[in-house]
Amino acid sequence: MKRLTLFLSLCLVSSLAASPLMAADASNSDYRKQWHSDIYTGYQNLATQSQALANQAKTYCQAPSEEGFEQTKQAWLDAFLAWQQVRFVDFGPVEQGNRAWQFQFWPDPKNLIARKATYLLKDEVAITPEKINESGVAVQGFPMVEYLLYDQAFNEGSKALPADRSCELLVGVSNHIADNGEALANDWGDFKNSYVGNDQYTDTTIRAAMAGLELLEERRLATPMGLRGNGKRSVYRADAWRSGASLVAANATVQGLQRQFLPTFLKLLNDRGHADLAGRIEEQSEEVQAKFPELDRPMAPLLADDNQFRMLQSLYVHVSQLTALVNDRAAVELGVVRGFNSSDGD
Amino acid sequence: MPELTRRSLIMAALAGSAAVTLTGCSILPRKASSDGPQQYTGAIGLPDGSFAVGAIAPDGKMLWQSPVNTRCHSGCNRPGKAEVLFFERRPGWAFYVLNSNTGTRLHRIEAAEGEHFVGHGVFSPNGRFLYAPANRYEPGEGIVTVYDSQQGYQRINTFELNGTGPHQITLHPDGQTLIIGLGGILTHPDYDRIKLNLDTMKPALVLMDRHSGQILARFRPSQHQLSTRHVDVAPDGTIFAAYQYQGPAHERPPLVARYRNGRYEEIDFGESVHRELGNYIASVVAHPENDLVAIASPVGGTALVFNSRSGRVVEKAAIADCAGVEALAGGDFLVSSGRGKLVRIGKGQPATEIASMSVQWDHHLV
Repeated sequence: MKRLTLFLSLCLVSSLAASPLMAADASNSDYRKQWHSDIYTGYQNLATQSQALANQAKTYCQAPSEEGFEQTKQAWLDAFLAWQQVRFVDFGPVEQGNRAWQFQFWPDPKNLIARKATYLLKDEVAITPEKINESGVAVQGFPMVEYLLYDQAFNEGSKALPADRSCELLVGVSNHIADNGEALANDWGDFKNSYVGNDQYTDTTIRAAMAGLELLEERRLATPMGLRGNGKRSVYRADAWRSGASLVAANATVQGLQRQFLPTFLKLLNDRGHADLAGRIEEQSEEVQAKFPELDRPMAPLLADDNQFRMLQSLYVHVSQLTALVNDRAAVELGVVRGFNSSDGD
Repeated sequence: MPELTRRSLIMAALAGSAAVTLTGCSILPRKASSDGPQQYTGAIGLPDGSFAVGAIAPDGKMLWQSPVNTRCHSGCNRPGKAEVLFFERRPGWAFYVLNSNTGTRLHRIEAAEGEHFVGHGVFSPNGRFLYAPANRYEPGEGIVTVYDSQQGYQRINTFELNGTGPHQITLHPDGQTLIIGLGGILTHPDYDRIKLNLDTMKPALVLMDRHSGQILARFRPSQHQLSTRHVDVAPDGTIFAAYQYQGPAHERPPLVARYRNGRYEEIDFGESVHRELGNYIASVVAHPENDLVAIASPVGGTALVFNSRSGRVVEKAAIADCAGVEALAGGDFLVSSGRGKLVRIGKGQPATEIASMSVQWDHHLV
């Protein structure tokens, strides 16, 4: 039943794992300089778009109008997509105070977003910056603003925008996002010496991109598509389902990797003699992008109709292939491990 | 079209290969603890994405695999009985009681309302009482739950830890004192595994009387973000605590502490070794037959053995995703990895890969 294979040769195993990238490499810091700069650009864009959202929310609530409401939705989407572009960065200043979770609390199987909103809007206490600070990550980010702007049941109720308290919450949370965006960009700038000066951050950066791709493939696409777990399709298991932005957000994530991660990563692969692989990764990321803008649409109708579901399957396959090239081929060639235990945290 | 997924391709490749490959040395060595069963039991991830608890015999044969509802973490053997327990991974809603000869499930005991287990437990020396750390998650209070195995694992007591985030527990050789790693990190099942209190965490090594629940001692690490997660104790009563650092990745704090002769001290392995440990220790095991202690870091992909008195590293190996450690008869250690490897490591000889299997060994072997 179980085959035992005895190797006559060595009892000694000199190297049990591929040597990690942190092995002495004079030019290693150059790669990180480039990564630092590219990610900085992404964070600055997030800061700018977040501030624009805060400004627009304030403008809208000062003089509400249909047009202003639509402009606020657009400002939310622009800022949310700016976040998607840098969402893969899971180390460094974004770890402070759970900033990543503050920007986007997800997944939310218990619908804490709606529960927290209901609670806050019912409360008599003023919605101050302090109140938002102490209300937890489900209140502090893009999903809460999305709820106020897009949730169907909420928008049909008496507290729909521009009701006073809802406006207070909209402006308060948008300001919180803007403050976090600015602080994150500044802190990333300050992080430069630590990042460039420590070889381990090369591995860390690659692992971050791998985790981002896996999250995209498995939890943001496969799970709502019913390819995992109970096999049922459910848009509620996607992120940004209220705004219908799940797929355009997926696209932004791949775009972010193309801008902030791949330029340096592909150079690294080329320098290590894996030019073919680098070329295939570049092509595959373009294959994903080629699905857009056709797939810039809500996920729910695609899940409901088998014919349209094929479009989603096609996107999934392309994302899956990109993930396989980066996580299973390139990372392995470079000796970067993202393991069953190492990514567990216990 | 799940058949097109990357993972299923890998799994197909795995399934096609030999389930077990023993390399080099054909027989796994005996475990050092003579009273436990001569088999290695661990939580495993299977190629099809499901989870089980599995036991292998010293000849490398998988004795049994018992399917479980969700990923498990660690467990303990029940002294005097052919039972092995495994806890669901944090937030653990249950533990499984399995027949250690056959893997047959005897019980699945659910956590009490408002509580979850954290992956570890230990028995009283006579095998009657189970002590399992748990989290009372609404108030974020760490507790030690006590179950009576002779009454079908009925809950009989609860001890307060006066702190947050307990993790591993073990029993002092005096048979009376529980040793608990209090990680200090506040989590809540509604918030995934988000760490909610990194600025204010208060980790500690806690000693507790197992009869009264009285806290006998509490030792704090040198920095408040050194989450004190894993613990072990040598036969002479020397206690070891292993940390997981929650601060910036490029900082190099101490990762292991030793309590001996009334002194709690942290061990510095030196800059280059610390760099290889990734600020994260998944297991610490003191060898019952000698002065050696082994630790494993899946984040750093490094396992090492050090002298418990001097703190000097005597052997070190790069083992991708290594986490589980078990003491072997004769003085060496066995290290398991998330890539299905079992590696023997000890003093004065290079690490030796003993087996490679198509399973993912989860954090701990018992």
